[in-house]
Amino acid sequence: MIVADKKPIEEIIEEIKGHEKILILGCNECVTVCEAGGKKEVGILASALRMYFLNQGREVKIDEETLERQCDHEYLEEIRDVMDQYDAVVSLACGVGVQFMAEKYHTTPIYPGVNTCFLGATEKRGLWTERCQACGQCILARTGGICPVSRCAKRILNGPCGGSDHGKCEINKEIDCAWQLIIDRLKALNSLDDYEQLSPLKDWSTDRAGGPRKVVREDVQE
Amino acid sequence: MCSEVKSVEGESGNFEVSLVNHPRYIDPVKCTACGECARHCPVTAVNQYNMKMDDRRATYIEYAQAVPLAFAIDTDVCIGCGLCENICLANAIQYDDKERETTIKVGSVVMSVGSRGFDPSGLDYLGYGKYPNVVTSEEFERILSASGPYFGHLMRPLDREEPKSIAWLQCVGSRDINRCGNGYCSSVCCMYAVKESMIAKEHAHGDLDCAIFNMDIRTFGKDYEKYYLRARDKEQVRFVKARVHTITEIAETGDLVLEYADETGVMKKETFNMVVLSIGLQVQPNVAELAKRLDVKLDKYNFVNNKSLAPATTSRPGIYACGVLQGPKDIPGSVTEAGAAACLAGVDLVESRGTEISKVEIPEEIDVIGQDPRLGVFVCNCGINIGGIVDVPAVKDYAATLPYVVYTDENLFTCSQDTQDKIKEKIIEHKLNRVIVASCSPKTHAQMFMETLEACGLNKYLFEMANIRNQNSWIHSKDPEAATKKAKDLVRMAVSRAVTLHPLHEKKIPVVSKALVIGGGVAGMNAALSLADQGFPVVLVEKNEKLGGMANRLTVTIEGEDVKTYLDGLIQRVTSHPQIQVLNQSLIVGFSGFQGNFTTEVLVGPGMYERKINHGVVILATGATEYRPKEFLYEESKNVVTQLELAKRLQEKGALDLNRVVMIQCVGSRNEENPNCSRICCQSAIKNAIHIKKLQPDAQIFILYRDIRTYGSLEDYYTEARKLGVIFVRYESEDPPGVESSEEGVIVTFKDHILDRSLRVSADLLVLSAGMVAEDTEELASIVKLARNSEGYFMEAHVKLRPVDMATEGVFVCGTAHSPSLLGESISQALAAASRATTFLCRPFLTLSAVTARVDTDLCASCLICVRSCPYSVPKINEEGLSEIDIALCHGCGVCAAECPAKAIELNWYEDVQIMSKVDALLEGVM
Repeated sequence: MIVADKKPIEEIIEEIKGHEKILILGCNECVTVCEAGGKKEVGILASALRMYFLNQGREVKIDEETLERQCDHEYLEEIRDVMDQYDAVVSLACGVGVQFMAEKYHTTPIYPGVNTCFLGATEKRGLWTERCQACGQCILARTGGICPVSRCAKRILNGPCGGSDHGKCEINKEIDCAWQLIIDRLKALNSLDDYEQLSPLKDWSTDRAGGPRKVVREDVQE
Repeated sequence: MCSEVKSVEGESGNFEVSLVNHPRYIDPVKCTACGECARHCPVTAVNQYNMKMDDRRATYIEYAQAVPLAFAIDTDVCIGCGLCENICLANAIQYDDKERETTIKVGSVVMSVGSRGFDPSGLDYLGYGKYPNVVTSEEFERILSASGPYFGHLMRPLDREEPKSIAWLQCVGSRDINRCGNGYCSSVCCMYAVKESMIAKEHAHGDLDCAIFNMDIRTFGKDYEKYYLRARDKEQVRFVKARVHTITEIAETGDLVLEYADETGVMKKETFNMVVLSIGLQVQPNVAELAKRLDVKLDKYNFVNNKSLAPATTSRPGIYACGVLQGPKDIPGSVTEAGAAACLAGVDLVESRGTEISKVEIPEEIDVIGQDPRLGVFVCNCGINIGGIVDVPAVKDYAATLPYVVYTDENLFTCSQDTQDKIKEKIIEHKLNRVIVASCSPKTHAQMFMETLEACGLNKYLFEMANIRNQNSWIHSKDPEAATKKAKDLVRMAVSRAVTLHPLHEKKIPVVSKALVIGGGVAGMNAALSLADQGFPVVLVEKNEKLGGMANRLTVTIEGEDVKTYLDGLIQRVTSHPQIQVLNQSLIVGFSGFQGNFTTEVLVGPGMYERKINHGVVILATGATEYRPKEFLYEESKNVVTQLELAKRLQEKGALDLNRVVMIQCVGSRNEENPNCSRICCQSAIKNAIHIKKLQPDAQIFILYRDIRTYGSLEDYYTEARKLGVIFVRYESEDPPGVESSEEGVIVTFKDHILDRSLRVSADLLVLSAGMVAEDTEELASIVKLARNSEGYFMEAHVKLRPVDMATEGVFVCGTAHSPSLLGESISQALAAASRATTFLCRPFLTLSAVTARVDTDLCASCLICVRSCPYSVPKINEEGLSEIDIALCHGCGVCAAECPAKAIELNWYEDVQIMSKVDALLEGVM
């Protein structure tokens, strides 16, 4: 899941304070699950903004809407009929949703209402941690199912480095050394031999290094 | 109420009870507890409830939670001025009320006359009654209470100053055959002293030194030891092992000097600002007479204390007793025993069950769907409780201006019966389809008004209340104008919500009147028998081949009752009972359903074929076992045994070959791994020590202990053991005895505090008082979804008030599956669990509240937050990947509805729009 975090309300106010008619737009996917941009958060942010403008003595229209997803045309089309009622939108979707909205509604400013953080998992309620950096060339098969690209601070492919200290990373004592985890897991899988295999240079062109990426699947294209 | 039993004639199943009904002078049926009479009463009387520390009026109610909630006149002080009669709008005062005698016919009788704290006035060395700052624990409870004489402020009586140091003296009126003759332990004082010290620290504004002077700290109840450790280690409550022999007052300051000898015999003096005497429990002073009138035998302390293996019984069949009247005990013990008494009384009444219940006819529901809202608003004066402050006619007129309101009225007492009839009339006359009552708390009155709606065919959830008394007139009595304005606001909010209400229907689910009992030990068998004797079929699942559980290893109780004889009889009754099916060598492998309708899958041995059992309730009686010591050379030396092994040996081989025996207490209890006290081991050791002394008077016996916890009447056996010459030596947990093997037996080294030196004792036998360990129920707990504490004992729904209920409705727990307990206590719990189970089984169906959560699956994001946040583990993600909430399991707490990030969950009757409409109405015109 894409994990996002709440944006400080002061920041949002700073962006939208010049507008009169604002739509707060939630997304019922990842940001709902990580409790940053679902219908409930839309309601909370909308109420807070109403209170703010009321205190300022200003009459600002703040409406609420939550779409199933903001990364699909069809769902974004659902609000086309009402979009002319607003002079700005605060999207609580991830960066993808914000941009897709902006592309679709070219003349309406779309502001981000959350900070999109990473691809991660819910360790427990209120704690999300990163697991994937979408490098485009998955090597998990060789690393005991633990990703050194996302979980090693240096992204090294033949670790650990000299900064591994009692299983922790030198940059922060709370971060596990990914390579320690890999070794432990390979041990448990009885395949420490894999560890002996040197990883060749990784082709980073499928990562961000190659510029914006796309996936083309002709087999499913209509 | 206000009645006393004069006599009980007849026999079990057919008693005639003569009662003396004392006059109250205020009719409890008419009295609405408005309190006007007391506010106008000119006479002051001493308030007994606050332990004489403040005053009340001659017209009074003992305390705010009294049942019935009705005032009475104390004619000892009443001057007959007539003011209360003039002021009472309910016409409840009846000065001519007289003492009457009534006779009732009943099948069983339960005595639960309670206890009274020991009066320490006679113990001159304590200075109680002489020094104002020496108070009893009962008085201190009232001092700490917000409704007490000092409104909860920690103050000492002399100067109303906050004390900086308080000493508690334990065992005042308990464990004292020298000065007061109460040889028993009162069981509760250690725990309440610890509690009082903790609360006193909470109430104190600065540092407060709390010292508890004790002989032994007896925190033997479930998880009590953890509380004691918290007080000692975290809150720095001091525990001093000493019995204070003299208290003197420093006249200038009112402080108190305590004199005592410490453990090494050194005389000490210490000064405290205040002293609390932890007074013991004893029976009410008139109990001896009552027992005589009822022909019930009492023990030497005037407790009923009937047979240990027949709890809650008395010497007279058909009459039962519970609570402290049976023997000193704490709240959970009393509530449990009350359940046991109810069970026994109920078994006697099986034939006549349900014959005296009157049936309420409910007319067919009027269909209001599609109708415009038609609201009726009934504003209550509550005598002058509301009307004296709030301008009720103005509120009524205001209500009439609100949208959809078609009828308004005001009543003197909206809760009275004649007003109910009037409301019914008006509902029909004006075709009302929503009703609002503006009066008092829905907590106490909503149910009654909802029944009124139901009685004239209106769905009971089309009702709303505005609390213009507790939340308004009572607290704004000094500002009638503001109170009237607020009443209008509250009514406007209520009207606004009422418009949004729609009918809700309660689901009726049939109850399978069959019980499943898990565990065939003494507790499980007793529970099964009590239910079967009431005609309910029972399936008893036992994992072993043989019934009896841990009791198979027991020999005699400390009171001398033979366990084997008892157990054989019990097994015989269970296996031959036509309503009980025993499945031994069986294992629970699946569990589903809800209260009244459970299905359990059992693998039945020895063939291990699968069986599905449908049942309405579950009773958990999985038991516990003796801890297998890892310490003190157990299993290394043949001369080291546990108490159970010793008891067996004494029965088989006697004790003639034993010259010296050492026993070590708290083995596997009160340590880091198992912080709790195992409750039974002190009495096991003493029981066995007495047994050895009787068989072989010359044998020398040392019992090395940390605190001797022979609570209640068990204390007598502790006294007896000391008289027989058993030597008790205390050791500290940090300095446990040393044990080494020798040719003749074992050598035990320990420190004697009085001699202040180490002793080396060579013994024939070292006996370890091994604690109790819960049976391994991890798998069962995960299958049935049951909460256990960290030591593996099942967690009851409420420690004090629901001691045998589990949090899941329809599931009960008893015996050592709950916590370590003696045989009699296990039986008591078993009967209580059966009694609670009966309340489900005797009903053909259960009516579930309509206030449950429901999921709008179109909105559900399957985020699992409802699953994670529900305190009862009800929501599930179903096969379609969406949240599903079983309304039969839902408690209606609303946590999921509040937490759902997709706003996909609504709580019926508290839907978002219904709550927001109130907020909007309140802020109307403001925002």
